[in-house]
Amino acid sequence: MTGAALLEIRDISKSFGGVVAVNRCSMTVREGTVVGLIGPNGAGKSSVIDLVTGFEHPDSGSVRFDGTELVGRRPDVISRMGIIRTFQSPREWRDLTVIDNVRIGRSNLARESLFRSLVFARGLRREEAKETGEIRAILKDYRLDDVRNSRAVNLSGGQKRLLEFARIAAARPRLTILDEPMGGVNPVLGERIGEAIRDLKRAGSTVIVVEHNLPFIEKTCDEVVVMDLGSVIAQGAFGDLRDNSRVVDAYLGNDDE
Amino acid sequence: MVQYWTAILTEAAIFGVLALGIDMIWGWAGDFDLSAYAYFALGVYVTMILTIGKPSPPVEYILGWHLPYLLAVLISVVVVVAFASLIGAVALRALREVYFSITTLGAVWAIYYLVENFTPLFNGYNGLSGLVDPMGGGLSYNAYHYLFFGFCLLVLLLAYLVVMRLSRSPFGRMVRAVRDDELAAAVYGRNVFWTKYRTYLTGAALAGLSGSLFAAYIGAFNPLDWRPTEIFVLYAAILVGGRGNPRGVVLGSFIVYVGFVELTRYIPSPSARPELGPALRQILIGLLIILMLKFRPGGLIPERLGTDDSRRRWSTGWLHPRPRASVKIPEASTPLSVESSDS
Repeated sequence: MTGAALLEIRDISKSFGGVVAVNRCSMTVREGTVVGLIGPNGAGKSSVIDLVTGFEHPDSGSVRFDGTELVGRRPDVISRMGIIRTFQSPREWRDLTVIDNVRIGRSNLARESLFRSLVFARGLRREEAKETGEIRAILKDYRLDDVRNSRAVNLSGGQKRLLEFARIAAARPRLTILDEPMGGVNPVLGERIGEAIRDLKRAGSTVIVVEHNLPFIEKTCDEVVVMDLGSVIAQGAFGDLRDNSRVVDAYLGNDDE
Repeated sequence: MVQYWTAILTEAAIFGVLALGIDMIWGWAGDFDLSAYAYFALGVYVTMILTIGKPSPPVEYILGWHLPYLLAVLISVVVVVAFASLIGAVALRALREVYFSITTLGAVWAIYYLVENFTPLFNGYNGLSGLVDPMGGGLSYNAYHYLFFGFCLLVLLLAYLVVMRLSRSPFGRMVRAVRDDELAAAVYGRNVFWTKYRTYLTGAALAGLSGSLFAAYIGAFNPLDWRPTEIFVLYAAILVGGRGNPRGVVLGSFIVYVGFVELTRYIPSPSARPELGPALRQILIGLLIILMLKFRPGGLIPERLGTDDSRRRWSTGWLHPRPRASVKIPEASTPLSVESSDS
C-alpha cells in the first residue's frame, strides 16, 4: 500500500460566480490505496472530483495522473487514461440491457469504429462473443446475471448501484473515483459495496471514495483526506484523525447532518 | 392500376431510405433533427443539376451538366454530407434536445428561403424540371417504371442492410449509450460530440441518397414540393414502425406512405374547399402520432435489445423474437432493496 504517487493535486482552485468551491486544494493519492475523501456538505469534495475528471476546469493549479497533466483535457480523454468515476446517483444507460451496459465497460473505441462495425461486423461479433463468459462472471459477482437481458432502467435502485460496480469491474481502471456510493443504500447492500471496493483494490485499482458514512470509511479506507471550505485540512489514517481538533470542528461545528 | 401501385410503392421505398437516415439521428442518437428534409431536397436539386443539362432562358441554375446518373448520385451524397457537416458542427457541439431542434429548424428555413428566392441557384420558386434517366434511355414508359421501382427497392434493401449491420454493431450500441446518458458515456471514454456527429453525417448521407432517387422519380422539383414540415410524416413513419429499429422504420414508411396515400384518396374534397383533403391528411398524421405515443410508444417493432445470445443474426429476427422493452425482472433476483437512491 505504499505505492508511488498516482494522482497529485497541487493548489487547484475553482470559483463559481462569487463562491469559492475549491481553494488551493492539494492532495496526493498513492497507487494501490483506498482513500476516503470526507468533509461537511459544501466542503468541495464533488468539485474536486469534477476538476480531476475534466467535467470542470480549475481556475489555477495542476492535477497530475501518473506524471501526466490532466488540466485542460476532456472527460473522455481523461477516462481513456484510466480514470473512471461515478456520480452521486447511478447513471446507467437506461434503454440498453444490463449486459450491454457492462459490455461497454469492456469495449473500446477501436472496436466501436464506424468503419470496422460496417466492414468487419462478423469479426467484431466473435470478439465480443469471446468476452461473454467473462462478462457473465462479472454479472454473477454482482447478482445481476438473472436480469442481464432486461433494460437497465427496470433495475431497482440497489441493483443500479451494483451495475455501476459491474461496469467498473469490466473497465478495469487504474483509478476509480466513487462519489457517495452509499447514498440511499441499505446496510446489507452497504456491506456488498464495501466488498466491491476491496475487490477493486485487489484487482489493482486505486480508489477514492467520497462518503459521509464514517464507520464505512473507517472499515474500507487505508487513508482519509478531510476537506473543509474548499481545502484539505488533514490527511492520514482514520484513527489518527479522530483526535484532530480541526477535523472534529469541521464536522460538528458546521451544518453537517 | 398496377402502375398506380408501382408509383406509390416506389415513393414509399424512397422515403424508407430517408426514414432510415432520420432514425439514425433521432432513434439512435436521440437528436430530434428538423433539417433532414433540406438534405433530402439538396440531394434532389444536386442530382438534377448534374444530369438534366444546360438551362434554357429564362430558366437558370448552376452547373447544368450531363453526368451519368450513378456518378451524380455519388456527388450529391458527398455534397449533402459536406453541407450537413457544417450544420451538425454548429448544432451538435453544445446544443441538445429542444435547443438542437430549434437550431436545425432555423437552418432548414434559412435554406428553404434561400433556394426559393435566390433564383440563379436552383431557379428559385419555379424550380427545376427535366428528365433524370438512371436507365440510360431506350426503355418504354412502363418498363422504365417497373425497372426504376426495382432499383429503388434494391437501394432500400442495401441501405437497410447497412443500417441494420451498424445498428447491431458495437458502434450502434455506443451511439445509444451516448443517447441514454452523455455524462456516463464520457466517463467511459466516449467522445460524445464525435459519436453524435458521425451518426448525424451517416443519416444525412442516407437523406441525400433518398433525394437522388426522388430526383429520378419526379420530373420537376420546386420549393412547394419540400415544405420542411413534411418531415413530420417521416417522424410518424418512424414512430409507427419502431424508433431505433431499422426493420420497424422500413415497415412504418410503407404503412404511412402507402396507407395514408390510400386513405386520404377517399377523403371527399368539395370543389368549394379543395384544401380540405390535404388538411385532413395532416390532421390524421398528427392523430396517428398521438395514438402511437399513447398506446404503443415503442412502435410496431420496438428497438431491439442487445442480449447475451451470440447466435443472433440479422436474418432471423422474425423467427426468434428477442426480449423487448417489457421484460419482467424476476422477483427472486432482487433481495436487495434500497430507499431512495438520491442523496
